[in-house]
Amino acid sequence: MTSVLAPGELVAPGGPALAKIGDPNGLLLAGPEPAGGAESLASYLDRLGPTPPMTGGEIFAELRASGLQGRGGGGFPLWRKLETALASPGDPVLVVNCSESEPASRKDWTLCSYRPHAVLEGAAAIADVLGAREIVIHLHGGSDAPRAALRRALMERGSPVGDPVWRMSYGPGGYVSGEASAVARYLHEGVALPLFASAPLARRGPSGRPTVVSNAETAAHVASILHLGAERWRAAGSPSCPGPQLVTLCGAVAGPGTVVEVTGSATIGTILRCAGLQDPPLAVLMGGYAGTWIHGHLAWQTPMEPASLSALGATRGCGLIGVLPRGACGIAESALIVDYLAGESAGQCGPCVLGLPVLAGGMRALARGRGGRRALRHIRRTAVALPGSGACSHPDGVVRLVVSTLEVFQDDVARHRKGHACRSAHHRPLFPFDAPGGRS
Amino acid sequence: MKVVVHVDPTRCRGHGICALMFAEALELDRWGYGRALDGEHEGRRSLVQARRAQRACPNGAISFSVVDEMQSAS
Repeated sequence: MTSVLAPGELVAPGGPALAKIGDPNGLLLAGPEPAGGAESLASYLDRLGPTPPMTGGEIFAELRASGLQGRGGGGFPLWRKLETALASPGDPVLVVNCSESEPASRKDWTLCSYRPHAVLEGAAAIADVLGAREIVIHLHGGSDAPRAALRRALMERGSPVGDPVWRMSYGPGGYVSGEASAVARYLHEGVALPLFASAPLARRGPSGRPTVVSNAETAAHVASILHLGAERWRAAGSPSCPGPQLVTLCGAVAGPGTVVEVTGSATIGTILRCAGLQDPPLAVLMGGYAGTWIHGHLAWQTPMEPASLSALGATRGCGLIGVLPRGACGIAESALIVDYLAGESAGQCGPCVLGLPVLAGGMRALARGRGGRRALRHIRRTAVALPGSGACSHPDGVVRLVVSTLEVFQDDVARHRKGHACRSAHHRPLFPFDAPGGRS
Repeated sequence: MKVVVHVDPTRCRGHGICALMFAEALELDRWGYGRALDGEHEGRRSLVQARRAQRACPNGAISFSVVDEMQSAS
């Protein structure tokens, strides 16, 4: 058995390590080249060895010591979610959310397509902690590669003694349908729309049972923690983000959609260098489409860690880094994103239905240099009224993007307000608006 | 005894009666949809008002929980 997880190999002494799929210095992405497709169980076991025999309680202690934060976007510590579920009445349900509704993000897609056994092993461990008898693997209907890989992996895995029942679920595509409460609701009543609830899902889901919805990357990290031990896994991260992290690069980079595993503490600049950038871009969109813009120069030196990002008003979100090149217009690109996000409203809550089109229309008018003053007034009023008004945080996210656009591209706002349209308004959009798995 | 009021935004259609029934706890937003103000409201009177607001909503969007000496019930 050859193990890539020998001590000292994780973090190169010289600093952070970056790995793409198949690079030996990764933790999640190490293993066979992507050309070979999904990794087989034999290869996975050969690399990592069998799952260490641990009880649910021991696994929980390790997860707690690891400090693993959910990687779907919220960044909530997994062990706290599990603690809530364990303290709540009813038979807990575990859902592994592989649906990745962020259109430009590819990390869960990559993991499920090429390293399905890590996701399954981690999910089985979380189920052990919960004593859950059923694990649901949830995907978007159209995501063919991860679907095929996970199905094959489940068959290879067979049903070891003590394994819970595995179920695969295929939900509809769409930005908000991958939100945790929408996934839980889809499984219970077949409607993939966010849920209004005064209690967290982990305490009481739509079925009345404690429902733990965990991201695919989070599950894969759980497997690493078991093999490596919490201490060593933790050390492969940075102080405010324990463990390695997966990042998707999109926009003006070499190979948009490239997923990079970051081990240790790396600046955004270091990460962007591995996608062919030599100098800081104009700006960087951090954390997803409903994320935050950061000036290129500032971002270049900022470590990709929650603590450093929150100082700039940003979060790592789902780990998406969007690159806006010099010469592009942040307002025009943001207007396209806001337009897309407005169209992705679930249509359930009044303020979202009425407010998002105002934001989208305002941004469009601003980008075209028409009626900019009035547009800005509308945008500002709406941006104040929207946060906290919906069942999910979709409107809050759109407001975050709009506010940060107006802040970071202040000079462009001033120019556009005076009636200058920008040349890039007619270019092809920089960011994709179709989820990798497509829609169903 | 403290009362916490919740508005389910997926059910609210902006009739606005709730804000008339319990003005201390509920307001209408920019578009006329109900919105719970932060905080808990003390006293029996609050409970009566919360119940009225709940009953008045044609869409069943209003709910409240009573926090009674560290125990909560809805």
